[in-house]
Amino acid sequence: MMSQKTAGLIKRQKKAVFVGISLVVILIVLFVVSLNTGVMKIDPLTVIKTVFGQGEATDELLLFEFRLPRIVIAVLIGMGLAMSGAVLQGVVKNPLADPGIIGINAGAGLAITLFVTYFSTEVGGSVFLMPIVAFIGAGLTAVTIYAFSYKKDEGISPIRLILVGVAVAAGISALMIVLTLKIDPKTYDFVATWLAGSIWGSSWNFVFALLPWLIVLMPYVYFKAKVLDVMNLGDSTAVSLGMNLEKERRTLLAAAVGLAAASVSVSGGIGFVGLIAPHMTRRIVGEAYRYVLPISALIGGVLVLAADTIGRVILQPAEIPTGVVVAIIGAPYFLYLLAKLND
Amino acid sequence: MSDALEVQNIQVGYQNRSVIEDFSVTIPKNKITTIIGPNGCGKSTLIKTVSRILKAESGAIFLDGKAINTLDTREIAKKMAILPQTAESPGGLSVFELVSYGRFPYRKAMGSLSKEDYEHIHWAIDVTGLNEFKDRQISDMSGGQRQRAWIAMSLAQGTDTLVLDEPTTYLDLAHQLEILLLLKRLNEEENRTIVMVLHDLNLASRFSDYMIAMKDGDLITKGTPEEVMTKGHLRTLFNIEAEFQSCPYSGHPVFTSYHISKQEDSHG
Amino acid sequence: MAKNATIESKAQVKAVKKTAKPIRGTIIIISGLVFLCFSFILSISLGAADINLSTIYNAFFNFDTGVTQHQIIRELRFPRIIGAALVGAAFSVAGALMQGMTRNPLADSGLLGLNAGAVMMLAISFSFFPGMPYVYTVLLSFFGAALGASIVYGVGSLSKNGLTPIRLVLAGAAVTALLTALSEGIALYFNVGQDMAFWYAGGVSSTKWEHLIVITPIVIIMIFIAMRISRSITILSLGEEVAVSLGERTVRTKLISILVIVVLAGLAVSVVGAVSFVGLIVPHLTRKIVGYDYRWIIPVSAVVGAVLVVVADLLARTLNAPFEIPIGALISLIGVPFFLYLARKGGKEL
Repeated sequence: MMSQKTAGLIKRQKKAVFVGISLVVILIVLFVVSLNTGVMKIDPLTVIKTVFGQGEATDELLLFEFRLPRIVIAVLIGMGLAMSGAVLQGVVKNPLADPGIIGINAGAGLAITLFVTYFSTEVGGSVFLMPIVAFIGAGLTAVTIYAFSYKKDEGISPIRLILVGVAVAAGISALMIVLTLKIDPKTYDFVATWLAGSIWGSSWNFVFALLPWLIVLMPYVYFKAKVLDVMNLGDSTAVSLGMNLEKERRTLLAAAVGLAAASVSVSGGIGFVGLIAPHMTRRIVGEAYRYVLPISALIGGVLVLAADTIGRVILQPAEIPTGVVVAIIGAPYFLYLLAKLND
Repeated sequence: MSDALEVQNIQVGYQNRSVIEDFSVTIPKNKITTIIGPNGCGKSTLIKTVSRILKAESGAIFLDGKAINTLDTREIAKKMAILPQTAESPGGLSVFELVSYGRFPYRKAMGSLSKEDYEHIHWAIDVTGLNEFKDRQISDMSGGQRQRAWIAMSLAQGTDTLVLDEPTTYLDLAHQLEILLLLKRLNEEENRTIVMVLHDLNLASRFSDYMIAMKDGDLITKGTPEEVMTKGHLRTLFNIEAEFQSCPYSGHPVFTSYHISKQEDSHG
Repeated sequence: MAKNATIESKAQVKAVKKTAKPIRGTIIIISGLVFLCFSFILSISLGAADINLSTIYNAFFNFDTGVTQHQIIRELRFPRIIGAALVGAAFSVAGALMQGMTRNPLADSGLLGLNAGAVMMLAISFSFFPGMPYVYTVLLSFFGAALGASIVYGVGSLSKNGLTPIRLVLAGAAVTALLTALSEGIALYFNVGQDMAFWYAGGVSSTKWEHLIVITPIVIIMIFIAMRISRSITILSLGEEVAVSLGERTVRTKLISILVIVVLAGLAVSVVGAVSFVGLIVPHLTRKIVGYDYRWIIPVSAVVGAVLVVVADLLARTLNAPFEIPIGALISLIGVPFFLYLARKGGKEL
């Protein structure tokens, strides 16, 4: 009996594993490069020594308390945003969906700005509240966008969803600009940095604030890979295959919002990662979500870490916000996709 | 003869307009049943309600004697497979992958396929004649092959009942026939109950055991092709005057040509 | 077939002419101008320091350099209001031309990346040529708008299905993100971030007579050209094939409109910054009033746009006095609900 996988499936699986391993290697290389990069030059040997506990106290401080957490955060938010984008694209069945483009990031940003302005003058004390606040803001925005793009009988039109998202994002940025008039210069700086998308939270506290969200949501989403696959076949097919479509859609959307919100709460408004990473992945390993999700996460991590490293190197001693670098890489790729895609 | 599906007094509509009101019909088990009628007669609405994409405002639908709104949607999916009219096919899927999603209702916690799953998938690919294409991307296939792949997915669901909404749309003549012959074979060899909507009345008549004719949301007539395919019924349904012959392959009535009923619209 | 198409399109043209409402248009233009004058006076008198009407009259006709209020009126408020009016007219006419030419109800210079291009060029001019004369800044701003426009249209026309509204809006969003990121990078590197912040938020407060001398004649000439080609735009708005079958020289019309759009958008941005939505809202409102004939849409849009920005500027100055709300943000807050309304109303074709 032919109770096994086809040759094509095995080939694809091998390819996915190979791509995954290659990405991990790239990530490790980038990690080492990034650790060596910065205003303070430390030679690779010292880095290795320090990592193994043989270094001097100043090097140790610099590496473990400043560079390492920032690198870890860059990788984590890249993963979170990429997975969020992959899920969103599946749920709204539009390959151009991205938490940045459709306004979810902006919603998180507005909530954080309000929070910083009215409840907490110093950001440090409330690190662990940030992802929650961001989630509430992003969630409300998602609900708003969903409500505006929903029409009885037609349901959610993916195109309308994206248009509404673009508009809501514009509206929220306007609100944030108006808000900046009310707040003191220090908070203003915070908002400006946030909007530009620079990884501002770069201590271990932020890592620990972000980590629980990813530890819960990433496996959950991976667990739903098959559901996402079937959603891809269209609403009618999904229902006839015995899927509780509305329920699955809502929980997955909530998970995607959670991933994006937690990520941007420490990174600021970084767009395009959620768009580019899943796309590259699909071109390499196809549509099956059990490969799309982990490989996009890896590509997302590589992308944000690379962008962050470039942003630190290129204009030394000034830093270019990571979001700016990602946009400069990501926007042309998006335009390329737009030109190439059929509707 | 027992019934596979029984529709009892359902009312379905969009917003304030009801398309179907107080509609009842039964669909026999182990037969091929075709629903016909002019555009907007409610046949798609009926299929969508049966496939629980639309909800009936009142009334009930029974599958093997059980009301579908009391059954778990997954349990229904193990008994009745539905192939919607507008099946969207994501480009990067292989035939095997698409067919494997037919096993979704049986999925285990981590979603890996069991031995039984593999058997169903391979059988479905085999019976639809797609064996040599199983690693081919859906996007690289012809319309007829693509439709067979979708039917294979529904077959992998392992259900007794198969519901298809216009399975031959957009296909050329040979491929239309190919699909219907496949369905006929499944009905004869596997005893599957087949329910479908067809636009082509002659193909409907040729392949059906039982026909249901609808207009303006009402049941006009039902019965064997001989009972349904009459001059009088086609006049009521489509406003046409048709000339009938007997189909040389099935013996069922088919029409050779037709005219519009109203005299003033005639031309030669 | 071709003949049939011509007959059909002539019928369409007739339909357009029928729906044109010249009397309403004339009334709107006249009442719009009256309203504009009224808002001028209101806008001059209200502000951080309120000024009464006789002082305004005297400032114009019995100017006295010794009176501070005369100085405020002549050197601060009046140029800024004229600037606001010109900017409003420029954005609106550019938006109307874009919507007509591309048959795209969502076209706007801000949404389609022109404004971001102009801002990027401003960032470059501040960084590399500080203290450059205003005329050259304006020129660079044109180039920036042209750059944004050509990327967006390039991407749109490269794709198989051409320039659908959604594609244009998405391309515009991406180009805006890209050019804004580039300007941020440039601004950061050259430490001109403070100067640039103003251009993102938008405002007419710094408009001076030396700017007005440059922009006023250009805006007037461009609106004049826009009106000259308005008939062709109407025909173009019926569709490329119809226009060709009616013997319209579509390439020429398109080139002229693109030139006018780029100049108007670049100019407006060089005065007020990256303000979106004016070019979206105003032509839509105008079409509701005067129908689909661009001979009326263009002049009426100019007047309505001028009124909108003058009033928005007045609100921006007075709502939160003594602070100013950035006018770009204020207009976005009006524009977003409007855009949502359009996106929702537009059925499946969007």
